[in-house]
Amino acid sequence: MADTTVTTPRRRFRLDPSLIIVIALLAVVVGAGFVLSDRFGTTRNFTNVLEQMAALGFASLGQALVVIVGGIDLSIGAVVTASTVLMASVVEIHPALMIPMIFVTLLFGAAIGFLNGFITIRTGVHPLIVTLGTASILNGVVLIFTLQPTGSVPFWFEEFAYGRIAGLPISGLVMLACFGLVWVFLRYTETGRAFYAVGGSPEAARLTGIRSDRIILMAYSASGFFAAMAGAYFVSRTGVGDPRVGDPITLASITPVILGGLLLGGGKGNIFGVLLGVFLISLLSNLLNYMNVSTFIQWVIQGLIIIIAVSIYVNKGKKL
Amino acid sequence: MIRLEGITKVFPGVKSLDGVDFEAKSGEIHALLGENGAGKSTLIKTLAGAYIPEEGSIRFDGQDRRWASPKEAKDAGIHIIYQELMLFPELTVAENIFIGEAPKTRYGFIDYPTMFACAQETLDRLGHHLDPQALVKDLSVADQQMVEIAKALVGETKLLVLDEPTAVISGREAELLFERVKRLRDEGVCIIYISHRLEEIFEIADRVTVLKDGKLVGKRPIAELDRDQLVAMMVGRELEDIFPRKQEPHADAAPVLTVRDLRAPPKVKDVSFDLYAGEILGLAGLVGAGRSEVAHAIFGSMPRTDGAVTLGGEAFNSPTPRGAIDRGLGFLTEDRKGEGLMMLLDMAANVTAPVLPEFTTTSGLDRSAEILAAEDEIKRFRIAIPGPRYGVEKLSGGNQQKILFGRWTRACRRVLILDEPTRGVDVGAKVEIYEIIRKLADEGVGILVISSELPEIVGLCSRVLVMREGVITGEVTDENVTEETIMSYATAAGEDRAA
Amino acid sequence: MTDLSIKPASTEAQLLPLFKRFAVPVALIALVAIATTIQPSFLAPNNIQDILTQAAPLALVVLGQAFVILVRGLDLSVASLMATVAVLATAFDATSNAMIPAIFVVAIAFSALVGLVNGLLITKRNVSPFLATLAMMIVLQGVRFYYTQGAPSGSLPEGFRFLGAGRIAGFPVNILAFLACFAVLAWLLHKSSFGRKIYITGGNPVSADLVGIRSDRVTIICYVICSVMAGIAGLFLVGFVGTVDNWVGRGYELDAIVACVIGGIALTGGKGSLWGAAAGALILVLVFNIVIILGLPVQAQLIIKGIIIIFAAALFARAQRA
Repeated sequence: MADTTVTTPRRRFRLDPSLIIVIALLAVVVGAGFVLSDRFGTTRNFTNVLEQMAALGFASLGQALVVIVGGIDLSIGAVVTASTVLMASVVEIHPALMIPMIFVTLLFGAAIGFLNGFITIRTGVHPLIVTLGTASILNGVVLIFTLQPTGSVPFWFEEFAYGRIAGLPISGLVMLACFGLVWVFLRYTETGRAFYAVGGSPEAARLTGIRSDRIILMAYSASGFFAAMAGAYFVSRTGVGDPRVGDPITLASITPVILGGLLLGGGKGNIFGVLLGVFLISLLSNLLNYMNVSTFIQWVIQGLIIIIAVSIYVNKGKKL
Repeated sequence: MIRLEGITKVFPGVKSLDGVDFEAKSGEIHALLGENGAGKSTLIKTLAGAYIPEEGSIRFDGQDRRWASPKEAKDAGIHIIYQELMLFPELTVAENIFIGEAPKTRYGFIDYPTMFACAQETLDRLGHHLDPQALVKDLSVADQQMVEIAKALVGETKLLVLDEPTAVISGREAELLFERVKRLRDEGVCIIYISHRLEEIFEIADRVTVLKDGKLVGKRPIAELDRDQLVAMMVGRELEDIFPRKQEPHADAAPVLTVRDLRAPPKVKDVSFDLYAGEILGLAGLVGAGRSEVAHAIFGSMPRTDGAVTLGGEAFNSPTPRGAIDRGLGFLTEDRKGEGLMMLLDMAANVTAPVLPEFTTTSGLDRSAEILAAEDEIKRFRIAIPGPRYGVEKLSGGNQQKILFGRWTRACRRVLILDEPTRGVDVGAKVEIYEIIRKLADEGVGILVISSELPEIVGLCSRVLVMREGVITGEVTDENVTEETIMSYATAAGEDRAA
Repeated sequence: MTDLSIKPASTEAQLLPLFKRFAVPVALIALVAIATTIQPSFLAPNNIQDILTQAAPLALVVLGQAFVILVRGLDLSVASLMATVAVLATAFDATSNAMIPAIFVVAIAFSALVGLVNGLLITKRNVSPFLATLAMMIVLQGVRFYYTQGAPSGSLPEGFRFLGAGRIAGFPVNILAFLACFAVLAWLLHKSSFGRKIYITGGNPVSADLVGIRSDRVTIICYVICSVMAGIAGLFLVGFVGTVDNWVGRGYELDAIVACVIGGIALTGGKGSLWGAAAGALILVLVFNIVIILGLPVQAQLIIKGIIIIFAAALFARAQRA
């Protein structure tokens, strides 16, 4: 293309204003934690939080990808649930299939995501409705199969959640690695940049020759895939498939995405901000637990955070 | 370089292109002319692969082509700069320039250092200084347009299409653009240039093709044509037949609208003028000069920070649209679909929307009175619609516009602000609309016409205000109302002359 | 450009408008026919009344939801509000039926306040309806659980049972209440000038402002109507169920949206009627009942609901484009 021996400009570091807010909030929470609770600021506690936040991390990562391309995924919780039940109940009967079942479960999640994307593209129906529909179907299937936690997995699979490498939880590390890979993908690959293009101006993307459909399918598939990861994590933690475990995950996955400054409507945002959002939510609830604040009050706080976050970033994107 | 033959493109209810032939050579600037709705954009999208024509053939660079997608056309070397720029606001200049063809490292990752360097080089080649790392959303429109042109320089562009590039930039920026475009022509690129500003065409085009109502009117070298011939080709009839006679308002007419020191940042910086009963006052200027914003600030649909407005002698200083309508001020906006019609409602509901209270009784909305009122408007403006209960979405632009005239003349009898009243309307309907405007003025309504079509301003108004960058730079009257004087005030040239 | 005669006349283009007009009534008749075939006693007056009694609370919520969807909104907080209102009603610990009007007034005032906050967040703070009402749902849930500490106590006057499941001259009371609400709201939406303002605002909020309609105010009022209907539905539902728990009405927010979509109310705003919304609610309830009649597990309702909403939305989207 060109002789580039002249100068090689570095990519300039750009700090999104929304990131500053999340970082500030994070600093406040951590600072308050050290002051208010002597158990909060321990290495042990931080590694525990890192382990516990894995599920929220996976779910939010998937949600973020869909939001960047201009959609929303309300089926994440249902995929989490279905994954746990699928994995635990098959492995209970055939314990030898544990390892293949991990892959099958992840594939299953990706397939459901793919289906969401496919229906959205083909019918032109708002993703809110499509993913709500698939969530309802999945939940129905799972609940017909079982109303109680079911199945079991070999004991060693617990290592995924509880195991430690160099003192750090494996699940948390895997989650961080996923964030890292997605970050590299979004920033350093053509396809990754196309995610932002498709979410920012779909018509321009089409006329520029970007295959928007393919990008949208990838985003939803990834969302399903990461939801299944969260499912695998729950199975590892509890050893069973739980037909209710995913219920709160769907909505919970949206909060870090908003905190990370991703415009609902697409085309914007740094995946790193989402990770900070996950940290913020997890550390906050950890701290509130130490302070014996009831779960009920925590719900109120969670609602207020959403409202405040959205009000601060004055949402100029299209309304959902 | 490119040859289109017998292209026909049909949209539901409309034949947008009807057997059009078109041809352009490399190393020439070929102007594509026509009024709004003549089919220029459809033709462009067809040759870019964004539309698939029902009939006709495309021959590009010596091969017969049938594009299946815009990507194929792009890969073959066709680059289109659309009126709405196809940029991604959250990405950097360099990423936008190299979208889809970013330089990569050995491992397949985007090589940002190389990309920034190449972008810099491309911008240098264009002679335009821009930071490749700036985000596109932070650039001015003119700079964004340069990014679009820089995109064309990446890869092998054989055919470059510019769709109304000067609609959004000022005179000096336009000069710069022409220079760049000529440079590309001299490098052997085939350039198709769409515009309805005739001065520009004479300045840069080598040949012109004229479309009208989806059909080919003719194709000539520019040297063989003069202005009047070109206009006649575009419009299909002589100018005198189009506009009604001009008439001065009565000498003793009182101002129905006075505006003093109006400010509505960022677009409106300082505007003062009077509008008299029965007058058709023109408000000209480039797109982006702040004309529509003046109208919004007067009407109350955009906040003003300063200024005194009187309507019919009364102060109107805490404006809301409701207040404006109640005082007899109507505003027909430029975006008929986005800000005007309610496509989901029937014609009658569209007419009565500003005056619902008039049709409200204790038992609810008086539908039969509403229907009667709408029928009146259908007769008055000769609207081609089966009845008041029919939807408005499928009507032609002219009929849609007449419905809006029905809406606003019913509600507001003092002042009407008309923003681009004939945009996207065919010639026949234009003539009718001009007659309607004349008639309303004769009935004593004060009318402010905002238009980018200078012939329209010149044809209708005997007094014209010209705006540039938020201030009124000149007022021309009577025989001075010509396209040349208006343009000189609208661009920096007028200022230079005055200085 | 003026040639309007060359419209392609595919069968699909001809059928879709028909579909738009008749899909809802045809679906209703078909469902009743299916139900009767499976179980001949389906059409027995008692059975019909039972079904309608069960359907009434949902139908009340659907009416309100229709108003917000018409102005391009969505209200996810309705179910949470229903339960909160139910808990609020027990807070009086009233035993006398004379307290019922007072309970209604307080519940409606509280609901209106919730709707006002939703509406203000959406119009004045520009929060997307999805997020604003989602946050409201969680906040209400937190407040409710905190107040009850997870286990609601307190009691309701006996009269609530009558409101929820009783009959007047053979007619279920809650159906009569629904009909009254429907009459008022249908007049408001389809006959009054305020209804016209709702359609104008939902179809094109920018134009609405430019013809002197305060679209923000219209939108806020729609959220208030929605919340008030949810509040009323909460009271009737708690009367029907007979006991208060923290999850009264759980899932109704989605069911209400599904019913609106089935009934042809476009999520893009400005399109659909209250008749459609009511019919959508009825269709949903019929489908749920057919699941039961067929002896399928209750959870199959979820599957069918999911399939219906995607199909209905896809068909209406298609009809829209043609």
